[in-house]
Amino acid sequence: MHSTPLQRFLLVFGLLLLVCGPAIADDSEATKAESPYFFVKSSDPDVDRLPLKETRVDARISGVIASVTVIQRYSNEGKRPIEARYVFPGSTGAAVHALTVRLGSRVIEARIRERQQARIEYAQAKSEGRTTALLEQERPNVFSMNVANILPGDEVVVELQYTELIAPVDRRYQFVFPTVVGPRYVGQGSTPVSQGGSGSFPAIPYHPQGKAPDSKFTLDVQFDSPLPVSDILSPTHVIKLTGSGRKRAHVSLDAGKPANDRDFILDYRLWSESTASGLKLYQGKDENFFVAIVEPPKTILPSEINPRDYIFVVDISGSMHGFPLDTAKELLGKLIGSLRPTDTFNVMLFAGSNRMLNETSLPASAANIAAALRLIDQQQGGGGTELVPAIRRIVALPKPPELSRSIIVVTDGYVSFENEVFSLVRKNLNNANLFAFGIGSAVNRHLIEGLARAGQGESFIVTKPSEAPRQAERLRRMIDTPVLTRLQARFEGIEAYDVEPAVLPDVLAGRPVVLMGKWRPVPGSDKATLHMSGQKANGQWKQVVRAPDVSQDAIELQKLWARSRIRQLSDDEALTAGDEQRPAITQLGLQYSLLTQYTSFIAVDRIVRQMGPMDSVNQPSPLPAGVENSAIGAEVPSTPEPATWLALAVMLATLAAWNWRARRVMERA
Amino acid sequence: MNAGHQAFLWLGLQAIALWPQWVWYWRRLVDGSDEPLGVLALLALALLLFRLAPQMRRVPDWRWILVACALTVSSAVALEVTPLLSALVGVLALAAGLAAWLEPDAPRLPCAGLLVLSLPLLSSLQFFAGYPLRMVTAQLSCGLLRILGFEAERSGSSILVSNQLVIVDAPCSGIQMAWMAYFAAIAAAAALAIPDRILLRRLPLVGLLVMAGNTLRNTILVGWEASGRPPGEAWHQTVGLVVLAGVCLLTLKWMKREVHGEVSRVA
Repeated sequence: MHSTPLQRFLLVFGLLLLVCGPAIADDSEATKAESPYFFVKSSDPDVDRLPLKETRVDARISGVIASVTVIQRYSNEGKRPIEARYVFPGSTGAAVHALTVRLGSRVIEARIRERQQARIEYAQAKSEGRTTALLEQERPNVFSMNVANILPGDEVVVELQYTELIAPVDRRYQFVFPTVVGPRYVGQGSTPVSQGGSGSFPAIPYHPQGKAPDSKFTLDVQFDSPLPVSDILSPTHVIKLTGSGRKRAHVSLDAGKPANDRDFILDYRLWSESTASGLKLYQGKDENFFVAIVEPPKTILPSEINPRDYIFVVDISGSMHGFPLDTAKELLGKLIGSLRPTDTFNVMLFAGSNRMLNETSLPASAANIAAALRLIDQQQGGGGTELVPAIRRIVALPKPPELSRSIIVVTDGYVSFENEVFSLVRKNLNNANLFAFGIGSAVNRHLIEGLARAGQGESFIVTKPSEAPRQAERLRRMIDTPVLTRLQARFEGIEAYDVEPAVLPDVLAGRPVVLMGKWRPVPGSDKATLHMSGQKANGQWKQVVRAPDVSQDAIELQKLWARSRIRQLSDDEALTAGDEQRPAITQLGLQYSLLTQYTSFIAVDRIVRQMGPMDSVNQPSPLPAGVENSAIGAEVPSTPEPATWLALAVMLATLAAWNWRARRVMERA
Repeated sequence: MNAGHQAFLWLGLQAIALWPQWVWYWRRLVDGSDEPLGVLALLALALLLFRLAPQMRRVPDWRWILVACALTVSSAVALEVTPLLSALVGVLALAAGLAAWLEPDAPRLPCAGLLVLSLPLLSSLQFFAGYPLRMVTAQLSCGLLRILGFEAERSGSSILVSNQLVIVDAPCSGIQMAWMAYFAAIAAAAALAIPDRILLRRLPLVGLLVMAGNTLRNTILVGWEASGRPPGEAWHQTVGLVVLAGVCLLTLKWMKREVHGEVSRVA
């Protein structure tokens, strides 16, 4: 049978359809974590899509402990009842211990509950028409607040309190209050919690780049210190300061530029460190606690330095596009530029995939350094943040035993699979130190600090290019100077137990040793002393710290101790494929009234207020300052059809040409 | 009053009876939720009616009038279900009303086709048919890319090709190309006065042609993206337009060839 070319084409196409049909992939794989997305404002005026009106932060810093109260004011200016959901950040070391809800004149104290139980109570209260609030931990530094049954005209004020230990670095103290969660890359193969992964992450709506935050933000820091506070400054915000150089100082934000699109950082010094650090004992009702902050040796002698190999792992994903990558370039310029000729180095660039500057490390010659800087300088940023394959490739690199290797990871940390990364580093990083640089205005500090902890290294945060030289210098000092190893702590005069951390890590320059634990008095002993010993590069190091009088208020410290223990248990859990620390963490959370990954705060109003339907609204966040729209994922290429008007013009032109030709044929005929 | 005037009077009255559907139509036209391509279909229909007016019957076919009345009533009832369904039944009612005034052998299907194409259909089609179309397009593209030597795997409506993820999202589904191709097919059918039963038989093949065209367009662009030197916006447009022109030309050729090898009349 004779067939036309068109019929033959359609036959081939049909066959292709048949061939490809059976190969259709399985789409049944469930989503484990949800990606960020751009907020789309509804045109329905009856629903208030932006219920969070204000966040107020009151921080009181006394010595090395900060007590912070975060007040979120929700109100419903629409005409229908709503359920508001807001994902917000917290400090990585925050021990969240209380939640209060104010509804009109009523005050509802939240209770701590096992996470699933809290969810059940929340769902029940929601369906019964009671105003209710649920606070959950998504990550140690990311929380979600759900407030249901906010009726039109309501004002619901939610107040959460947390405590944090501020340890000095290079004798400077730093109080950090993160204000926005950066958009996290979810990854293509993230594993659920039951398989040792980081589990789910909430989908967070974001405003496009440049859109100012919707809600008001105010912050006050009150110093109430036993020593005068000096050198108070914020590298991130314009502040109003009173009382500098005195024991009671006050800091507030200057009105003007939006304040809640980046971390708030406040640096300060105490006039004398002698009483801020040391051993402090607190007596509680049932348990006694102590905290010890011990400075490493001040004078560091030059030591013999082994040949060193540096591997720089640089994130060039979409969220790094623009200012973060520019800052990273500046930082890497300083880091790589300061290598000694005897050093070797390599550079890995990673986004959706990864590539190395060279298969093996190169000598730090001027030509190689210039080539590396050129390569980094060419990067624009784009694609996903596949950190796990990048780390996997790094840890698989062969290393001669005599070589001292340092891995320097430079990223904004905007990923949601932190546990996989920590586990990979802790299991595989043989004898190498990992240093993590967080770049950006609202870095994922949980990832950066966790990476450094897992890699026996140190974390650094660089919020702007001008900070790059100082942080690069800090890293150089840490790597070049001897560390304290084989650290041991021994107490006299008290019986110390449940000490955190159980195994003391090596100490790098500038970072104090922080110990927390419980104690019992030893009969007949008068004064408690802590004996620290360790190995310096050139010999033994010893220090004896004596405790002054016992303080009576142990509430803050017991929360901090429990938080530290939970972090240790969580780190252990991340190493294994399971949640076997769940009972221990839940027990600690319930006993010390702490928000954890397995315990949540739930507050329920006693009055039934409405029985009708309710709209759920997700409060959007601004993109962190300097982060561009590409961080949300707009950079994934697609193949859209041409513009409608162009397509229309082409179709009409084709019709006209066909008609004209048909007429010509007819005229000729 | 001549036959054309009577027909238009009837159609006008019928259109007035369908006023709730027109109100909805107008809202959809101006709210930006759909491309206003339907206006072009209405203009083409007006042109066709202008051409058909002198050939209209003096006495309508009452069977078609009954169908038109039944569909008009059904359209009002369907308003309770969904406005788009109601509008679809409404334009079919108008098509039936128009059919009543046409000569028995006159082509009625192009009129009905243009009325259907005049509806704000694209967004709804994207919603209901977009994902299956994108999935099939992605799967076929994967097959072609593998034949061309690429390492390609589909996941949902995305393609992972040579470690590069490319998504076949809503604007890639080929729905717009389908509208263009069907419009060209119906316009050609009207111009060629193709009998309804022949037109009906060949319209599904236009759909297959669109699927092939969209797969080809998608394959070229995905392969280009995976080559390491992704095409710019202008190249995206150019590839899309060239393929669209090819699909339209093949559609027109298909329409022309099928009338037993002869063109009966040219517009």
